[in-house]
Amino acid sequence: MHAEPARPHTLTTFTAALDQLRSTVLMISSLTRRNLQNSIKGLMERDDDWCNNSIADDEEIDLLEMQIDREGIEVMSRFQPVASDLREVISSIKIGANIERIADQAVNIARRARKLNEQPELAELHLLDELILHSMEMFDDAIRAFAERNGDLAKGIKPRDKELDQLNRNLTDTLVNRMQDDSTNLPGYLNLIFISRCLERIGDHSASIAEDVVFAVHAEDIRHLGKTAKE
Amino acid sequence: METLSNEKVTEDMIPPDITQPLPLTDDFVPGESNFIQVKDFKFFYGKKQALHGINLEIPSRKVTAFIGPSGCGKSTLLRNFNRMNELIPGVRHEGDITIHGTSIYDPSVEIIALRRRIGMVFQKSNPFPMSIYENIVYPLRIAGQKNRAVLDETVERCLRSAALWEEVKDRLHESALGLSGGQMQRLCIARAVASRPEILLMDEPCSALDPIATAKVEELIIELKKDFTILIVTHNMQQASRVSELTAFFYLGNLVEFDSTRKIFTNPSKKQTEEYITGRFG
Repeated sequence: MHAEPARPHTLTTFTAALDQLRSTVLMISSLTRRNLQNSIKGLMERDDDWCNNSIADDEEIDLLEMQIDREGIEVMSRFQPVASDLREVISSIKIGANIERIADQAVNIARRARKLNEQPELAELHLLDELILHSMEMFDDAIRAFAERNGDLAKGIKPRDKELDQLNRNLTDTLVNRMQDDSTNLPGYLNLIFISRCLERIGDHSASIAEDVVFAVHAEDIRHLGKTAKE
Repeated sequence: METLSNEKVTEDMIPPDITQPLPLTDDFVPGESNFIQVKDFKFFYGKKQALHGINLEIPSRKVTAFIGPSGCGKSTLLRNFNRMNELIPGVRHEGDITIHGTSIYDPSVEIIALRRRIGMVFQKSNPFPMSIYENIVYPLRIAGQKNRAVLDETVERCLRSAALWEEVKDRLHESALGLSGGQMQRLCIARAVASRPEILLMDEPCSALDPIATAKVEELIIELKKDFTILIVTHNMQQASRVSELTAFFYLGNLVEFDSTRKIFTNPSKKQTEEYITGRFG
């Protein structure tokens, strides 16, 4: 379900401040998407320049994360938002933090890719393809759910994280077996395992973003549902 | 209890009209969930209908906030609980309001006795042009109380409960009109609780006060709910969310939503409520 577009506030500066916060979140999302893309390109095309770009551009994302916090605090202190507005501000701040962590994973992937690029290409590199596709789709959908205030799209993201976890486990098992057979490429396999782990973490953060979108749109807290049900 | 004149006050020194429960509430149970019931209540100023079939159950010893835009009927409803609206010519009502199961319109209910059980604090503080002491004891004096010990005890108890005692204890016999705006409003609250009412009606009690005085009155409201059922009309959303446990949102004479304050201010069920509290109205 899409939330209905909210009517503007009587106080136009309130609407403007919320819009500004929202556009900063969208800005950090698109820069993070670009960095992630650059890291993957650097890995797959074995081109250090793309990796270096991703690492260098991370600073901008760190600054945007702090800007989101500042803007969120300003909206709270100036306008005392309640109900859907309050949820939007809280979610935006949390989403900003999660996106910044995804950007950190892009940096980790870029660093591992540079190490891999120093050695001859491993045939196993393309075992990462499915994980890359799955994690990028999760990230894209989480951001789309935020942009469109689409709670139902967001709710569908969490189960996909389990599939990604399984892909990561399968790949790790495969690579551990290869390490036993081919110890000469041990560092390369280890780097692939680390990259797989980074992609799995991107899925975790995307699922967290989706949880925050559900909270903002539906006022539902879907975190730790399995655990609380057991309690 | 020690009093100003160092006399002990005993129950038998307090006249029956102050301590004895009135017929209206003689089996009052603290913590009642439907202490006040508003049943299909309609109210008219002449031909103009101000309230359209309000149904509401208000629990005792809680703070219930009435919110809504100007002209929505929240103050009209508030002033019906002590039948203050009847002072306006040409008004009439349909439906009923009960307090602990007894209709406030029951012929056996004396209107003066009803108003003694239901204290009221207004937007603009209205201390009488007399001393601080005389302001507090005024309700007791008109009830015929002359015992100095009882009057002294009441003054101290009420001023303490209004968090004003420390500020005025050395000038009790000076004019109340020399107090600051915030002190005057707390004096009016102290006067409202002097006759030991069960219900306190507050009609925008802080709208003329600065933030510090507002905080003191809000602190007082939270303190007073241990002993009183408080109904507060406020235009200040943050005030409603800070002091009340329940919030009722009114619009155009209708009760749109009534729920816990937490629910109203985090995830209201009705779109109109959401638009009002988030400032998207009109």
